[in-house]
Amino acid sequence: MSLPLGQRLRVRAMTYMAGEPIPFFWPMRAFIHHNPLHGLEHLPFGDAVAAGARLLHCRGHLSRRQYQGYLAAGKVDRSRLEAAVDAFVAARPAIPGVALGDWLMALLTETGGTVVPVRDFADVPDIHAAVRGSPLPPDGGTGLGRLGEGLKTALLAEGPVYAAVDGLYGTDIGMQLDELVIRICLEFLDEGQSVWGLPGREHGLFTAWRKVVGRHGWLFPHGVHVRGILAADPSPEGVIVHVMETLGVREDRWTAYFTRELARLHGWAGFIRWRSSARHYYWGRHYPADLVDLLAVRLTLGLALLKEHGRRVPAITVPAIREFIDKRTAEACLRHEFHGSRLLPALAQGVEEALALGGRVRIERVFREYTAAKRRHEAGHQAARLRAVAARAGAVTALEGLSAGALGRLLEGIGEFETGEGMVWLEAMESRAMGHLMAGVTLEPPPPRDKRPFAQALFCIDTRSERIRRHLEGAGDYQTFGIAGFFGVPISFMELGKGSETHLCPVLLTPRNLTLEMTVDGPRDPAAVTALEKVLHELKETVLTPFVTVEAIGLLFGFDMVGKTLIPRFYNRWRRHLHEHKPATHLLMDKLDRDQADSIVRAVQRAVIVKAVEQEYRLPAERITDDLVRELREAALGRLPGAPGLSQELGLGPAEEQGFIRRLREVYRINPAFARLQLERLARIGFSLDEQVGFVSQALRSIGLTRDFSRFVLLVGHGSTSENNPYESALDCGACGGNHGLVNARVLAQMANKPEVRRRLVSHGVHIADDAWFIPARHNTATDALELFDLDRLPSTHIVYLDRLRSGLTAASRLCAQERIPSLRASSRATRPPPGAAAACRAAERNAMDWSQVRPEWGLSRNAYFVIGRRDLTRRLSLEGRAFLHSYDYRLDPRRRLLENILTGPLVVGQWINMEHYFSTVDNAGLGAGSKVYHNITGRFGVMRGNLSDLRTGLPAQTVLKQGEPYHEPLRLITLMEAPLEHARRAIEAVVAVKQLVRNGWIRVLVIDPETTLVSVYDHGGWQHLSCPPSHPLSEESRAS
Amino acid sequence: MSIFSCLLAGLFLPLFPSSLVFNAVLRRLPHPWLPMVLLLVWPQIGLMLVLALEASPPDWVVPWALLTSALYALRALTLQDVRLWIGFLATSLWALLWLVVSGGGWAIAAPLHALGLSLPLVLLCLLGAGLTRRFGAARAGLPGGLAQSLPRYAGVLVVVVLAVIATPLFPAFFTMLGLVLHAAPAVPLTALALAGIWLLWSWAGARLLAGLVVGPAGGDGVADLSRLAAWGYVGVLAALVGAGIYGAMALT
Repeated sequence: MSLPLGQRLRVRAMTYMAGEPIPFFWPMRAFIHHNPLHGLEHLPFGDAVAAGARLLHCRGHLSRRQYQGYLAAGKVDRSRLEAAVDAFVAARPAIPGVALGDWLMALLTETGGTVVPVRDFADVPDIHAAVRGSPLPPDGGTGLGRLGEGLKTALLAEGPVYAAVDGLYGTDIGMQLDELVIRICLEFLDEGQSVWGLPGREHGLFTAWRKVVGRHGWLFPHGVHVRGILAADPSPEGVIVHVMETLGVREDRWTAYFTRELARLHGWAGFIRWRSSARHYYWGRHYPADLVDLLAVRLTLGLALLKEHGRRVPAITVPAIREFIDKRTAEACLRHEFHGSRLLPALAQGVEEALALGGRVRIERVFREYTAAKRRHEAGHQAARLRAVAARAGAVTALEGLSAGALGRLLEGIGEFETGEGMVWLEAMESRAMGHLMAGVTLEPPPPRDKRPFAQALFCIDTRSERIRRHLEGAGDYQTFGIAGFFGVPISFMELGKGSETHLCPVLLTPRNLTLEMTVDGPRDPAAVTALEKVLHELKETVLTPFVTVEAIGLLFGFDMVGKTLIPRFYNRWRRHLHEHKPATHLLMDKLDRDQADSIVRAVQRAVIVKAVEQEYRLPAERITDDLVRELREAALGRLPGAPGLSQELGLGPAEEQGFIRRLREVYRINPAFARLQLERLARIGFSLDEQVGFVSQALRSIGLTRDFSRFVLLVGHGSTSENNPYESALDCGACGGNHGLVNARVLAQMANKPEVRRRLVSHGVHIADDAWFIPARHNTATDALELFDLDRLPSTHIVYLDRLRSGLTAASRLCAQERIPSLRASSRATRPPPGAAAACRAAERNAMDWSQVRPEWGLSRNAYFVIGRRDLTRRLSLEGRAFLHSYDYRLDPRRRLLENILTGPLVVGQWINMEHYFSTVDNAGLGAGSKVYHNITGRFGVMRGNLSDLRTGLPAQTVLKQGEPYHEPLRLITLMEAPLEHARRAIEAVVAVKQLVRNGWIRVLVIDPETTLVSVYDHGGWQHLSCPPSHPLSEESRAS
Repeated sequence: MSIFSCLLAGLFLPLFPSSLVFNAVLRRLPHPWLPMVLLLVWPQIGLMLVLALEASPPDWVVPWALLTSALYALRALTLQDVRLWIGFLATSLWALLWLVVSGGGWAIAAPLHALGLSLPLVLLCLLGAGLTRRFGAARAGLPGGLAQSLPRYAGVLVVVVLAVIATPLFPAFFTMLGLVLHAAPAVPLTALALAGIWLLWSWAGARLLAGLVVGPAGGDGVADLSRLAAWGYVGVLAALVGAGIYGAMALT
């Protein structure tokens, strides 16, 4: 039976909706920082965190103990805490005899752990009795019916049916199911790591899996059930409907149910969700899979496992479980307590035995004993927690004198406050961070210059650029600017020797222009070591050879290991000499006109024909004349009936001649249709002159650089190098899609150095001095080295100044490493004197080359600020590598277009980075990637913990934690804009995505008006103004609008 | 040796089903010190009985002892309560003492072997009592994650469990090694059964430790083992290792 199309579409739509909260997972080859709760950004931050916690079983805030540590370190604004407590107390009816504000402050600042935990058995009268030290009342209101209803809600409201069965019977179906689904995902989604792939992958995930299960059911322990379920319908949608109906889940709950199912392995689901939406993705195109496939596989296996356990578990459907809870509530409650690890330890053995032996009378007796004990325990525990807070608030007597009603209201109040406590701490931390930033900003205009700077450098907005910019500015007459690391030029790049395109721009953009990397060097033989490595890999990947390989050449790996471990700097430098070096290259970035494109297609066709003749007829190159090739080409394109020259040369008959021409058309694709396709592809290469002018103009105007150009204008892209690090690309440029930013720098430099472009830029208000020369450069953030590129194009007049430029860059690199390296030391070595600049450089280099180094650099950890304004605003302030700095001059942007572009691209990317760090810090196990120590690379696109786990999303512990405690301070991105409030406000309102982020509190926005010195902060749904000078703390908010 | 004598001795060198008695007694002893005394004394009583009779046990005792040992080792796999686990492991270990007393020259050293098997169990019992004092019960999964919350306690616990399950170089290891080497040439099937039982102990130990030591930390604010106590345990364990090595050398 096949499901009607309408119903299939309905299931698809439901699955699509269900997948919305699941965050995308991009392949780690180009790591994309993202907000793990991106799908919940339509909610206010606090609500989204709560929803995420329910859905992904994660934490959205640090623990109170950690926040208290920050408070003690002066990183939390205490007055803001007090204000939040006062506001909370003011919004509630007073409790006679209770100074709730004192209680809450004592709770916040002096008490550890939750004060009002969830209680199932004890009621307020029980706690009241426990507080007074009197015996518990005989009936604490623990009705069996209430427990049963609570149980049904806990088990059946949203979660999958097998989770309810696991909760009642301890069957571990969820874990078994996850393992099976992970194995299937591993086999299907593999991108070349496995030598043998799943057959039939090109037909899609569900179809390929179905075929394997159908043919080889004996391989699967649950094969019988699986085949029975799959027989219900040929389509994945039909199978989904069949399973859901069998389980008895109401249709109005399906979407929520699907979300829960997908969230169980949100890494794998996120990857499948992303690749199904990435049209350019090679593996996605060839081996399609979507969430419907995944869900169908998951639900089928889930039902099969339930049926398997159904032999000893009486209830495996929603109605059956509901009935079980209704009829045997006591047993269900005991089971839930036992299998949910909520048991009182002292009674655990008795409960286990009662459940094992069965018998209604026995179970009800044990249940009564257990209930009484649990009530006493919960009441006593709650009373002790209250007493601890009361003691700190100086209110023990008041607590003991409270009536039961007042105690109930107190518990309710504290419980409610604790629910929203995380936001209170977060806002207080942000308030202090804002105060720190604002205390350091300078609004005075810089003194007028009598000459232009020696050099100007455009760095990525990346937080790591802040440090090196500061040191470069201190090293001499340098002026620096911040711009998104793709320099505003979205490029699809085809690297020399690679057959696929890489998008070098934020993932929010889709590049239209293709840039090719080409070399003038002829083809070269691969270096011996490179060839040897290829052979070695092939030996490793076949079935039998690894055994022999290990015996034969295993010792070589020993030398490799010793070298890499003991002398990584020396050894890696030596090894690099052995490898083939990349030749000098040029970028093909000018648009081709029609004639040029035709010419290229002709040249390619001629080359292919030469190869074809050589291969098929073994004709030496000197006998393949231009005329012969031209004749064959014309014949293949249908412009000539035949190629008599070839027949004469080789003595071919007419049939053979026509056969070869046909092969040229069909096999070698020398035909008009393919030529048209090639022309279309060629049309994507390069940028037209107008486009080049537009990109250069926009890049320079967006940072306020339109005149007074220096002799050298450096375009500094950045990237990171490290060894044995699957997260290497997470340290690269986020604005370049997790790649190095050098190519974009080279492209923009080539554009800006063109006289024709410069001439046209004048009409855009950009006056580039004739002697100004744009040089691409790369900042290696692991070593802090600054390297110049394309110097062969440098005018000879500039060469004499190159030494001075290099000296400045070297000084900046060394000082930057010196500032940075101490933070990478282990805590035990932190007390040692800081290293000198040379030693710091060596340490940084070693970090980049040491294969055992789990933390080559801190990356973007500790990011907190995003400053959009002139460099002079924060130039005197050391932001410790915590700020994204985007240069911007609102006076050059009266229509706010440039600001809107900054908000749309760089700010959103910054917010993703910030949120990734935030959530990886507050819950590294759930939303981060955990420790790198347990990671295994999976399918060449991700990592798992151990040999089988969900794909680890987020950042590893080594990136955000130090000695198990947060190194990154989890704050929402504090965005400071230097512009009149109305100017900034209208720009924010114009960009819908950013407006939503600001209004829902995913970004904290400060606007500073340089003309009026008025500071405005968006807080709790409106703009709060500071009438005081910006050096005052932000908690002194005076009035609200 | 008469059947009656055998059955009587089988109460103390547990043979199923009389092994139920020991486990029932062990489970019901309220004070933590009493189980420890019981663990030390119980097998010695059995050995005294057997040795006092000055007769070799009948042939059917060895397979029965192996069966008892295997049964309890297998059952220990699913146990979560530390006291029960100790009882089952003790039964499984002591049942093999029948093989020791059947081994001719070995019999004289049987009380020492029994002591070597029992002492780690006593240490585990002591640790279990500590867990009960701290958490209300000594039970895998409640609270679990001791490695993070009580690292010293977890460390000692791991080594003690290793000592119980006859890991080198603890005395139980040498006892097992001796039994296997002794049995292998004459009755290979017995040696194979012993190796299987040994494997089951390791499995049971790993499961118990997984439930107690591994996982997210539980039990905030609970005191870890003091340094002094930890060193005390280390001292006893080192003495056990020394005794094991010395005993092995003396026997060879």
